Amino acid sequence: MDSEDDMLDANDVESIDDDFYSGDTGIESDDADANYDFDNDSDDSGDIMIHRPQQNYTILKEEDICERQEEDIASVSTVLSISRVAACILLRHYNWSVSKVNDEWFADEARVRQAVGLLEKPVAELPNTPEVICGICFESCPRKGIESAACGHPFCQACWAAYMNTSIGDGPGCLMLRCPDPSCGAAIGQDMINKLAHHEDKEKYSRYLLRSYIENNRKTKWCPAPGCDYAVDFVVGSGSYDVSCLCSHSFCWNCTEEAHRPVDCPTVAKWILKNSAESENMNWILANSKPCPKCKRPIEKNQGCMHMTCTPPCKFEFCWLCLGAWGEHGERTGGFYACNRYETAKQEGVYDESEKRREMAKNSLERYTHYYERWATNQTSRQKALADLHQMQTLHLEKLSDRQRQPESQLKFIIEAWLQIVECRRVLKWTYAYGYYLPENEHAKRQFFEYLQGEAESGLERLHQCAEKELQIHLNADGPSNEFNEFRTKLAGLTSVTRNYFENLVRALENGLSDVDSCGASGKTVNSKNAGGTSKGRGGRGKGSSSRSTGASRSDDGDTWSCEHCTYANSQSGTTCQMCFHL
Amino acid sequence: GFAGENKMSTPARKRLMRDFKRLQQDPPAGISGAPQDNNIMLWNAVIFGPDDTPWDGGTFKLTLQFSEDYPNKPPSVRFVSRMFHPNINRCYTSTKSYLLEVQAPPLDAIVNLGIFVVSKYAVASEKVYADGSICLDILQNQWSPIYDVAAILTSIQSLLCDPNPNSPANSEAARMFSENKREYNRRVREIVEQSWTAD
Repeated sequence: MDSEDDMLDANDVESIDDDFYSGDTGIESDDADANYDFDNDSDDSGDIMIHRPQQNYTILKEEDICERQEEDIASVSTVLSISRVAACILLRHYNWSVSKVNDEWFADEARVRQAVGLLEKPVAELPNTPEVICGICFESCPRKGIESAACGHPFCQACWAAYMNTSIGDGPGCLMLRCPDPSCGAAIGQDMINKLAHHEDKEKYSRYLLRSYIENNRKTKWCPAPGCDYAVDFVVGSGSYDVSCLCSHSFCWNCTEEAHRPVDCPTVAKWILKNSAESENMNWILANSKPCPKCKRPIEKNQGCMHMTCTPPCKFEFCWLCLGAWGEHGERTGGFYACNRYETAKQEGVYDESEKRREMAKNSLERYTHYYERWATNQTSRQKALADLHQMQTLHLEKLSDRQRQPESQLKFIIEAWLQIVECRRVLKWTYAYGYYLPENEHAKRQFFEYLQGEAESGLERLHQCAEKELQIHLNADGPSNEFNEFRTKLAGLTSVTRNYFENLVRALENGLSDVDSCGASGKTVNSKNAGGTSKGRGGRGKGSSSRSTGASRSDDGDTWSCEHCTYANSQSGTTCQMCFHL
Repeated sequence: GFAGENKMSTPARKRLMRDFKRLQQDPPAGISGAPQDNNIMLWNAVIFGPDDTPWDGGTFKLTLQFSEDYPNKPPSVRFVSRMFHPNINRCYTSTKSYLLEVQAPPLDAIVNLGIFVVSKYAVASEKVYADGSICLDILQNQWSPIYDVAAILTSIQSLLCDPNPNSPANSEAARMFSENKREYNRRVREIVEQSWTAD
């Protein structure tokens, strides 16, 4: 969805990175204070193995993965004094944790050997005859055509190839292949695969082995961007889960969705589910339509009068209000725009239950739509901003440089403004998901949240407007002008101010809006220079997962909960969904 | 000989020929099997109920369908005879119901004919055969290319008196086996008798 392939080239952004902290553009970039470092969006420089300050992850290309895997295998092989193949099998069994392998091996080598299938001595002995019978096809084979694993069970080469072919074709389970004899657990390693399997199977096996190094290792994950072959090695517990791959895709390492600070992973998952859920269609149908009394198909009223006619082949005519046959309606029952019967029944409370459900569905739908529309709008806006940024970098910067007779290094404030816009749109988008799940009854928090969000949003709009529209003027100017310097000051100022607003917003949300009691409901600005706020943010970050969970508190306490079946946000405590009655 | 002997060259067929030879030369007690006349990949087999058990005297028929992946993949085995066993799926004709959307009759017809229309759905029935398949580990994830037809049939035979309660394919039989052994044995003897007459 957010794949930014080719958007930010390593070469383009390299020079920016170098100068970023030099203070040229006057933007405060005190990394230690910033709760979110929007460098995550800009590309890393070409040398991916450098650990930048505050960075807790490394991007791994395929060569790096191979290299690391080889190193680990060599290390285990040396320390345990076993063959490379055996080391590989051991590591695979213990999910590529070198320390686990060492611990388990030196604790109880015999048990490990037994569990993994690394036999020390053969179990079966080949008879001394020139021909041996294969245990699978039961045909006689010359001795040199017979192969076996460490156990000694004999099978002919053709049968081995077929056996391996079947196993490799069944998937990554082939990495744990054992001797065909069901009573024997001898492990089959890559050496035997390379000796006996078909060519394509050998390659498949190698690929599975490489993939296993990333997939079975809890510290590494593949970059989820389509077509990207890089993996990310992440050090958990040191703050934000946002990582930025070399392919310029930014994602949350924890849940592999797109980067979604400051909202936590469970909320994001629920929101995405809700967006795709069929439930919203159902809610809409419930809120806006009624079933034809005769054929039961949902009907939406599109005109003023109460006289409804169902579509062919049904063609039943009925009153919208009371769903009775139209033939019985007319002046006596209140005319064409009202229905006495309906009014009477309503007073008697006949429709209460279904009306109530309809009302609830409507409210729920309206509320959801309110947040969804804004989420989606910011999403589109961000896509456009990314496109504009790309265009700026590739085309306009040069053009502007010519027109205004300024070197490109003096124009970096424009790139920074766009980078800021892109990041802020992302944050703003996710704050709408946050707002949706914030309980209605937490008035103080809601007010505080809406205040912060409003400030941030208006700042962003001003910035975006300036970068889009005013820049155009200067881009199309004939020659340099003084107004350009004013523009520079203005844009840089707006970038800085917007950045502050968003830092406040992010910090507050990551603290679960717990500052609300100390700062009051509205009117008080939470300043980034506020020492109390900063240290709270730092402490919260250091706790890693715990600061995340405060963000999730609204979803897990008794107040509101999302139905698994239809994703309706139930506000009452209880275990039955109000909308679909699912448990 | 078998028709189409020029197909003998595949490893699966060679192996099946060898399995058949072994069955004929060295048959394990209480089992027998042979490929169908012009198709070595489809076998008919009979398992006799073990002596001195409620299964005693039963002649239970099965089919085994092999593929070219044999022996690296197990055959599909199913009982043709009616069985009552916790790990064997029911084998009888059953009706499968479908909901069909129908046009509701006009209101006056409902009134005149006294038809009670509850919804716009009607139930249609279809007869299907449930498959008589077997929940046995060596026929699924614990398969090994070392097993042959004799081994498969022998394992199934021992399963008869030794059900595995952890993978019940027939929940009624499974429950009865653990709660009401007497009734269970009675039902077993019933299908033993049925196995003599069914074809």
